[in-house]
Amino acid sequence: MPKASKHFFEELAPATRRFRSWALTYRGLLTLLGLLGLILVPAIQKSEYWLGIFVLADIWVIYAASWDFLAGYVGQVSFGHAAFLGIGGYATAGLVRYFGQPWWVSVFAGAFVAVVLGLTVGVPCLRLKGPYLALGTLAFSLILNELFQSPALQPWLGASGGVSGVPPLSHDAVVEYLVVLAFMVASLVVMVSITNSRVGTVFRSIRDDETSAEASGINTTKYKLVAFMISAFFAGIAGSLFALHFRGVSPPVFGTLYSFQAIVMAALGGVATIFGSIGGAYLFTFLDTFLGPFAGLSVFVFAVVLLLVFRFASGGFMKPVVEWLKEFIDILRGK
Amino acid sequence: MKQTLGTIFEAKNLTKRFGGLTAVNDVSFEIERGTMVGLIGPNGAGKTTLFNLISGFDNPSAGHIKFDGVDITGLKPFQVVERGLARTFQLVRPFRYLTLLENVTVPSLSPRGRAASESAGIDEYASTILSSVGLVDKARIPPVVLPHGDLRRLEIARALATNPQMLLLDEPFSGLAHEESANIGELTKNLNEEGVTIFVTGHVMRELMTLVPRVLAMHQGKLIADGTPKEVANNKIVLEAYLGRSEGYA
Repeated sequence: MPKASKHFFEELAPATRRFRSWALTYRGLLTLLGLLGLILVPAIQKSEYWLGIFVLADIWVIYAASWDFLAGYVGQVSFGHAAFLGIGGYATAGLVRYFGQPWWVSVFAGAFVAVVLGLTVGVPCLRLKGPYLALGTLAFSLILNELFQSPALQPWLGASGGVSGVPPLSHDAVVEYLVVLAFMVASLVVMVSITNSRVGTVFRSIRDDETSAEASGINTTKYKLVAFMISAFFAGIAGSLFALHFRGVSPPVFGTLYSFQAIVMAALGGVATIFGSIGGAYLFTFLDTFLGPFAGLSVFVFAVVLLLVFRFASGGFMKPVVEWLKEFIDILRGK
Repeated sequence: MKQTLGTIFEAKNLTKRFGGLTAVNDVSFEIERGTMVGLIGPNGAGKTTLFNLISGFDNPSAGHIKFDGVDITGLKPFQVVERGLARTFQLVRPFRYLTLLENVTVPSLSPRGRAASESAGIDEYASTILSSVGLVDKARIPPVVLPHGDLRRLEIARALATNPQMLLLDEPFSGLAHEESANIGELTKNLNEEGVTIFVTGHVMRELMTLVPRVLAMHQGKLIADGTPKEVANNKIVLEAYLGRSEGYA
C-alpha cells in the first residue's frame, strides 16, 4: 500500500510542479488570491442577507460562463439561454419538493434534463446560423415560458404560480455559500479546461470560420451539438442552484429578461473569457441588488453603467482591470 | 517515377443551375491518379462552382461525381474530406484567432488526419505539415499578421493535414507576386511528386501552363477544351473566350 501511494505521488509530481509554477505567475496568483478571498467571505460577514447576495452572484457566474462558452468559444449566439436555466430549476424544484430527492442528486438531474433539452433545441436550431440561430433559441425559451404557465400543469408544476416551498440546500447560510462557491469554481475550471483542450481548438475554429472547419474535415454539426449540450449542462446547474436558493421557481425564469441577463453579464466581463464572467456576474448582481430600492431610477443607472462599460471597454471590463492591477503590483514590487 | 494507377476522379454530366443561370453546364471529365491537372477559364466561367460541387459545399442539379471508386455526389464537405479529397479556397479563410499550429491542428483532428498522425502525435504531425509548407517558424503566431503568400501556404497546409489523396487548389496564384507564385508552384509540384493528385484552377494562364501537363478550359459553365497546355492555348474557342469574340471588337 505505501508503495502504491508513493508511486501515486510520483505520478502527481509533474502536475504539482506545473501547479506551483502556474501559482507563481501573475494570473495564477490573482486567481488563487481571489479564491482565498471568496472562501474567507463567511469569516468576515456571516449575515444571511450578504451571503445570499454572494450566492446569487456565484450562480450568475456559472450562468454567464455557460453562455460565454457557447457564444465566445463556439460562436453560437443563444438568445434563449433562460430555457436551460428554467428547465434545470424546474427539474430540481420538482425532484426535491415532490420526490424528496436530496439536493445534490437534483442538481445533477436538473443539469441532465437541461442537456436533454439542449439536444432537443440544438438539433433543429443548429441548422440555423447567426441571427436565425439566436431567434430560434429565443423562440424555444418563449414556448417554454408559455408552456409552463398552462393551467394543465396546475396540480403538478403549479402553472403560473410555479413550484414553491422547496427545502433549501442547507439551513446554514455559510454551508450554502461554500457549496455554491464550490460549484462555481468547479464549473469554471471544467469550462476553461475544455476550451484549452483539443476539442476547444476545434470549437474555436468553428467560431472563426465554420466553412473552413468543414473543409478541414470536421463534422461541425456534431461539435456544435456537443458544445450546446455542455453549455446547457452548466446553465442547468445554475438553474438548479437558483431554484434551491430561492426555494422555488416560476415561469418568468424562462423569460427574455433572464436570457438577456446572461448576455449582459458575459459582455460586461468580456466575451470569450470564461473568467470574465466572474467580474460581469458580480458587477451585475451588486448593481441589481443595490439599485433595486431606487426602482425606476435603477434601470436608468444600470443602462448608464452598461453604456459606459461598452463605450470604454468594449472587450469587457475584466481585462483592463486585471492589467491595471498588474501594473500596480509591478510598481509595488519596484519594477 | 510517377505512375498512373487508373482513374481517381470522374465527373459525369455535372450541372448546376442557380435560378435561370447555369453556372456549370453538363461537365464531364476524368482525372488519372497521381497526375496534375489544371483548370482555366475567365472570371465567372464556373470554376469555383465546379469546385464547390466536387467538395460538397454545393449540390449539383444533375450529374454524378465519383472519387476513388465511390459515388460522392451529395456528400457533406467533411465526408468528402474523409474520403481523401481536400480543397483550398480562392479567398483565404484562416482561423483568425488561432495560432498557425492550431490552424493545422484542426484538420489533424479529422478522421484521416488522426489516422495519419497516430504514430507521431498530433502536435508533431501538425508541425511537420507546417514545415512542409515553410511556416514552422511562425507556428505560434496568429494568421492576421501574415503576408498573403503565407496565408496561401497555410491554406494548403490545412488541406494537407487531412492527408488527402487528391487536392483541389482554387486559384492558389491569384494576387501573388511572381516570386511567391513560383514558390507555390514549386510546393504544388513537390506534393504531386509525393503522390498527391492535384486539380488546380487559375484565371491567368501563365503560371498554370508551365506547371501542369494537362489543362481543362471552361467558359460560361461549359468545358470547352481538354489537352496539353500548348493545345489548349492555341485552341480557337479558348482564345475567343479569353479575348472576346472578334466581331465584338469590330
